[in-house]
Amino acid sequence: MEKISRYLLVFIAILTLAIILPKLYWMAFEKPIRKPFILYSCIYDDFMIHRISEKTWKDTKGQQYTREEYEQKLPMMYLKQLLASGTMPDSIDGVELDMHDIAKAKSFFRLKINEIDAPVSGLYPLFESQSGRTMLDLPEDFFRITWRIDFIDAATNKVLEEKSQMFSAALFQKGFSFPAKTISGLSTPRKSIDEGYLIVDSKDQLFHLKMIKGNPYVKQIDFPDGLKFRHISCVDFKNKDFYAYLFSDKNEIYILTQDGYKLIKWPVDGFVASNCDLKIYGDLFNYTVIIEGEDHIKAIALNPDYQVVKTYTETWKLKEEQTEVKIFSSLFPAQVSMTSDNSKFIRFYFSPSKGLNWIFLNLLLMAFHFIWLYGRKVKLKNHMADLGIVAVCGIFGFIAIHFFQNKFFD
Amino acid sequence: MNNVIECNNLTHYYGKKRVYENLNFHVSEGSILGLLGKNGTGKTTTINILNGFLQPRSGECLIFGENTQHLSPRTKARIGFLIEGHIQYSFMNIRQIEKFYSGFYSKWKPAPFWELMSKLNVTPTQKISTMSCGQRSQVALGLILAQDPELLILDDFSMGLDPGYRRLFIDYLREYAKAENKTIFTTSHIIQDMERLIDDLLIIDFDGVLAQTSVNEFMGSFKRFDFVLENDKADLKKAPFVVNLDKVKNKIELYTYSSESIVKKYLDDNNITVSNFAQVKMGLEDAFIGLTGKY
Amino acid sequence: MMWKSVVYKEWLKIRWFLIGYTLLGILSIGYLFLTVKHGFAFTGGKNIWNTFLFLGHQFFSPLKYVPLVGGLTIAIAQYFPETVNKRIKLTFHLPLGENKALLMMHAFGAVSLLLSFLVFFGMFAGFSLVYFPVQMVTDSIISISPWFLAGFASYFLVALIVLEPEWKFRFYYSVVGGFFLTIYFAPAQTAAYGPANSGLFVLTAFLSIALLFSAYRFRKGEM
Repeated sequence: MEKISRYLLVFIAILTLAIILPKLYWMAFEKPIRKPFILYSCIYDDFMIHRISEKTWKDTKGQQYTREEYEQKLPMMYLKQLLASGTMPDSIDGVELDMHDIAKAKSFFRLKINEIDAPVSGLYPLFESQSGRTMLDLPEDFFRITWRIDFIDAATNKVLEEKSQMFSAALFQKGFSFPAKTISGLSTPRKSIDEGYLIVDSKDQLFHLKMIKGNPYVKQIDFPDGLKFRHISCVDFKNKDFYAYLFSDKNEIYILTQDGYKLIKWPVDGFVASNCDLKIYGDLFNYTVIIEGEDHIKAIALNPDYQVVKTYTETWKLKEEQTEVKIFSSLFPAQVSMTSDNSKFIRFYFSPSKGLNWIFLNLLLMAFHFIWLYGRKVKLKNHMADLGIVAVCGIFGFIAIHFFQNKFFD
Repeated sequence: MNNVIECNNLTHYYGKKRVYENLNFHVSEGSILGLLGKNGTGKTTTINILNGFLQPRSGECLIFGENTQHLSPRTKARIGFLIEGHIQYSFMNIRQIEKFYSGFYSKWKPAPFWELMSKLNVTPTQKISTMSCGQRSQVALGLILAQDPELLILDDFSMGLDPGYRRLFIDYLREYAKAENKTIFTTSHIIQDMERLIDDLLIIDFDGVLAQTSVNEFMGSFKRFDFVLENDKADLKKAPFVVNLDKVKNKIELYTYSSESIVKKYLDDNNITVSNFAQVKMGLEDAFIGLTGKY
Repeated sequence: MMWKSVVYKEWLKIRWFLIGYTLLGILSIGYLFLTVKHGFAFTGGKNIWNTFLFLGHQFFSPLKYVPLVGGLTIAIAQYFPETVNKRIKLTFHLPLGENKALLMMHAFGAVSLLLSFLVFFGMFAGFSLVYFPVQMVTDSIISISPWFLAGFASYFLVALIVLEPEWKFRFYYSVVGGFFLTIYFAPAQTAAYGPANSGLFVLTAFLSIALLFSAYRFRKGEM
């Protein structure tokens, strides 16, 4: 029993060390990768690249600019600055520039990797879409969709039967198949208007749910067979072109137009939801999609008809090639972490080191331990498991078996 | 006659420091053995090995035929153990402690415990931690008597006790042991107490066992002779019979197993003139110091 | 029926600590829900729900270290008296297997802790269901579960550390144990611990027999 107890302790020590030692190492040595800030210049028909740490402003051909020149190439982004310095053009491409139109067309959307793999609350506020008021009020009740839609009053924690039945019936009549798989929408009252929720039911059908003057509004949205959405992000843009960005499980990016519920696929490839961050800048002339991966950044500029105008890709040194990473993989066989940049969930995230150089250290520690044992004149066969532990777990195992000593087990 | 305790080739080191090597001894049923030795000679080590609290470097100890490193519960029930300093669970009071221990021993006899407790000036709800050293020793003694074990292992039963309590302890113990044919293994550094209690002795020193015999035999054979040298430069250390020799100027205290005649013959043979030659009667403590030396 | 006597001794050691701790815990949870009630009255139920669901406010966060304190308290109350003057020798000398005796002691402490925790849990779930719907209560329970597991883990670890005879190793175990406990307290949004809880449960169970290791070292004569 004591032997088992020791091995369990050794295991726990190894796990703990595999979490702490790499963490300390990275705290000391990790270098941030400064990703460039890329925007499409509609004037110049090229991407402008600003490297913050180096304080450079360049285009894709490497031509350098001053900060002012750079900003002048990006009037949509630096509107205020250019107006202030009097360098704002009156028209671009023959289109007369109306300040109001420019402001209305501006949008920014960001999707981080960890937003997709995150806990979901299951309870949402359904706002009154046409309250007649300029500001939205948080409703008194929240809804959930299980075998039906329930509205629960927050003050009393009781289900509002009438409202629940009314909305459930409305959903049912439109062919909704309970329960809901995902419910996407903007749950905050800090938006310009409420457009309800986009809901995927248990048969992967897509519905739009709103409350208009207290009554349910349900619309089923048609789309091609076989299309499944991994994630839907509703947006609140001033131009009211679309309701949401939708991401299929094949990593395609769609938009859902407000006019006619048209599902349009953007000709953007290279986005992988599980390991890329996404930024989409919208302005009067273009949508610029920025895909940030671990070792690359891709920029795609689209015109108002959602056609690709230009793309640019940049790659950099793979993490593996960084010196800090090389040294890491010579010291530690792997790293365990409870948190991950790619998810909001807590798990035991296990990542083996890139490269196998740690094997040398393992063997060295094994030899060291062997000599140490020899000096103590112990029966080697009782220590085979320990040597095996050092061979596999390296420095973690070595420390663990010395903290929890194999003494008296001969 | 069975050996209740048997230790064979017991060897132990603390790091590189040797405690003893190849120590052999036994305690037969019904006898009372005292382990005597100066501090640091291995008394507590031996007690710890006997109780299974220390694994010796090599060798083994057997109690009732079982290796002390793996004593079975049944055997442990037959052994009573007194820790040095009469250590007990002192957060309990005497009522609680009796209740606690009684649950473990099927042969538990509450009467002797309560008889001893009645002599104590304590309330039943008084925590043992608030009692004096002497009172605590009585509690410890009472618990052992109630357990009624066949073998008692007592580590320094006299530590911290007043003479009155020591006397009480010894008298009670000896009477109990002889009446019920109990076996006792004990250590103490107050030799006079041991003298009243033990039948057999085991004297250890830094070099190993110095004496292993019955008290009577030891006291009968180990002698002290005092005399005055005429020539104070005479060297007696080489004499074969000398166990220990104390020399202050020309006054000699000689400790030996040999007889008076052999000593006198040596003196004559070597032309050493002495006066006031006399054998001095010793108590066990005198003999112990004589055997082990004053330092 | 020796276990009865073993349990009796343990009870004598921990009874006031256990009762005191349980009372304090009950008061803490009662106070927590008083603040919830106050919040409902003054800020409004919908705002409380909203901050919980979408703004990351965990109303139960004051409970974070309550189980940990319980584990530490009971372990110290139980095992510290055993190490004073090496009194645990008395237990090892009893006519009972040494590991058996230890595990009985340990089980009693763990069960006592469990009963306290169940009271807290029951109170928490009960009060929560008054104010919040099932989803929010389940998510809250998922979030507080690792803290309760940490309570057990700290109990098991302190026993291991207190019974270890050598100071050097007590230090090592404390360092490993301290870092290990951080696994239960990683910064997390509500219900984020869901996937990790079963793994944490297994690891906590692994620690339940840890004390046998240091007790074994004690019995072999390590100083």
